[in-house]
Amino acid sequence: MFGSPPVRKRSLAAAVALAAGLALAGCAGAAKTETQNKGAADTGSVTWWGWTPDDTPAKAYITAFNKAYPNIKVTYKKLTIDGYNAALRPALASSVGPDVFDVAPGAANGSVEIYGVDAVDLTPAVSKTLGSDWKNKLSPIGVSSLTVDGQLKALSLGAVYSGTLWINQDLFDKYGLTAPKTYDEWKKVCAALASHNVGCFVQGAGQPAFNEDTLQAISDNVQPGWWGQALKGEVKWTDPAMVKTLTIWKQLFTDGIMQKGALGTQQYPDANNGFMSAKYAMVMMGTWYMQYSTVAGSTAAISGAGVANPKPFTQTAVPFPDVAGTGHVGALYGDADFGLAVNKKSKAINAATTFVTWLGASAEGQQLVANILNDIPALTSAKPNWPQVNLVNAKVQQPSLDKLITDAGKSTEPRLATVSADLQTAIGVASTTVAAGSATPAEAAATLQATADKIKK
Amino acid sequence: MTSITSPETAGPKRPPSAHAAATHTRRRGNRPSGLPWILPAYVFVVGLLYYCIIETGYLSTLDWDGTSPDPVSVGAQNYVDIFNDPVFWKAIRNTIEFLVVTFTVQTALGFVLAALLHSKIKLAGIYKVIIFTPVIIAAATMAPVFRQLFAADGQLNWTLEHIGLGFLAQPWLAQSSTALPAVMAITVWQFTGLTFVLYYAAMGQIDPEILEAARMDGAGNIRTLLAIIWPSVRGTTVALGMLSVIGALKTFDVPYLVTLGGPNYATEFLGTYIYRISIPSAHVGYGAALSVMLLILALVGSLAVAVRANRERRSHV
Repeated sequence: MFGSPPVRKRSLAAAVALAAGLALAGCAGAAKTETQNKGAADTGSVTWWGWTPDDTPAKAYITAFNKAYPNIKVTYKKLTIDGYNAALRPALASSVGPDVFDVAPGAANGSVEIYGVDAVDLTPAVSKTLGSDWKNKLSPIGVSSLTVDGQLKALSLGAVYSGTLWINQDLFDKYGLTAPKTYDEWKKVCAALASHNVGCFVQGAGQPAFNEDTLQAISDNVQPGWWGQALKGEVKWTDPAMVKTLTIWKQLFTDGIMQKGALGTQQYPDANNGFMSAKYAMVMMGTWYMQYSTVAGSTAAISGAGVANPKPFTQTAVPFPDVAGTGHVGALYGDADFGLAVNKKSKAINAATTFVTWLGASAEGQQLVANILNDIPALTSAKPNWPQVNLVNAKVQQPSLDKLITDAGKSTEPRLATVSADLQTAIGVASTTVAAGSATPAEAAATLQATADKIKK
Repeated sequence: MTSITSPETAGPKRPPSAHAAATHTRRRGNRPSGLPWILPAYVFVVGLLYYCIIETGYLSTLDWDGTSPDPVSVGAQNYVDIFNDPVFWKAIRNTIEFLVVTFTVQTALGFVLAALLHSKIKLAGIYKVIIFTPVIIAAATMAPVFRQLFAADGQLNWTLEHIGLGFLAQPWLAQSSTALPAVMAITVWQFTGLTFVLYYAAMGQIDPEILEAARMDGAGNIRTLLAIIWPSVRGTTVALGMLSVIGALKTFDVPYLVTLGGPNYATEFLGTYIYRISIPSAHVGYGAALSVMLLILALVGSLAVAVRANRERRSHV
């Protein structure tokens, strides 16, 4: 009935061979093509996955979009920063992945270089919305950093810049302090805050990706423009500028500016929560923190940090102090924050494209982006309409935000867009080994250069 | 008078083993193949489990970011790179230290607690619940608690300072020297309950007469524990040893959620390294090669424990 033993053995061998063959065949990469039935442009359901924005601004975006397109239902799913790639990759490989997903330039989460292969080219859609001169109407950084092989793989909502400290102005006022402008002032401010049992500066140095922001700020203070050259490989990481940068970085730990145990702290959630719960008065964050200047944004963030009965406080951005004593302060560096990409396998490509172009390229959508203050809008004509923005302390925050937005618009220094994941890891290792005292700044710089050389190969 | 003769005495004499073999062969010949019975499970196992292993093996020969349609075949280069990768060896060292410490401490605690709760102790039921509860709490739930507990301004240091041991306070998770012991402590807290339950069940199988005989021979508590009970639960210890080897190699959630594998790879394990390499760094081929190494190490480790246990058993027979 089931064949003689030799026949069974042969059948079994054939089955195993077939299974192995199928397995290997299934492993081969296949070209990814767009769904043919793209659905209607003004009706349908769209799922959107991202690690940013927070739920509050996302809800505001969707609500405003639905006033223009009531028949497109958009569902936003916010994932953690660290878990985004792990969730997105299998989702895009399946046929039930998100219709719209966040991507970012460089090696950050949702790297457009990696996930752009799954995204629709949005050039025709943007051209239709903004006209043939669409490139002149959008921030160049948003277009260039999200273009892969000549295709616009995602539409930037806006840009984010780093290089600033964010301070709890209310705490500074309470203790009669002013934001530090020099290294010595920074130490004095920390000592004063400590005398009131308030933490000074909090950094999640155990999550090394964020250490790069602080290192770049120090480097821009030591020698403006050097960091960008190093990322391009035009100068060696062993250059005295990097050694000096790492030396100052180490001093932040030894001089009590950085909080104790920083290497065991993560930027998200620990450092963010520490600042939002007013345990610490300063944190190294970028323009994405502008959203917490509003009553709604601040209240939600403080609540998210685990504070009962959250009361918004005045958060303002200040330039990174002149830690090297060179007088070069105020540098900002940034990239397109994130772009919205449309999944090639989506069964609602047209509806998804409608949502993405409305938010990323229409005057209404970009005005909303400007007002929510999560990003500096991609559409260059969009500016925050302050009367519509409910700031916690408009008198203090509005001038600060105006200056920050203006300064950011002048910046051409990239933040993460040109950093590969391997180089980012190597920079992180340099930062943590120096902070832990297991390598001198010169040794860490040499190791970083050696790693950078290997990456080039 | 009728005498009943057994088949062995009635028929020609032949060795019992030969008889058993003949019977077994005859029965097998008459019986239909078991293939249809195991086919669903066989298809499921081969189709899912082995497919994944085969695919991982194939991926380990690629230089691939996980999404590109054109992966590059690199043969065995990923494996060559692994042997020259200091982070891999650091992860192996961490795994060995972690295995030795957590297995030893969990075994000692689980064994002693099980023995104690087999004695006539008040509120034993409550103690059992307290000991076992950490096993059922997800690491993701407890990770923020332990990050806070071990933080420089956390409850552990606060407690030390308030009982006059402030000189011991330190940023536990921020130092390479203390981060791994902290991860070990969390793991021991989490899994001692499982060790306890298995020992508790195994001790329940020991014949009370043996214990009584030992008592009559003058054995005290410690002597009974070491000379009677410990050898009697040897099988459980071996099983726990195997589980610990596999568990140590697969360790991921606690170090990833509490320390992110840091600082400076101090709490890097193969699991965390595979994740970081495969997902954030997008070296899926290299991550697959690391996964294959993990599989090999898990098999070798489990076999080593089993072989050693068999040898010991034979030597005791």
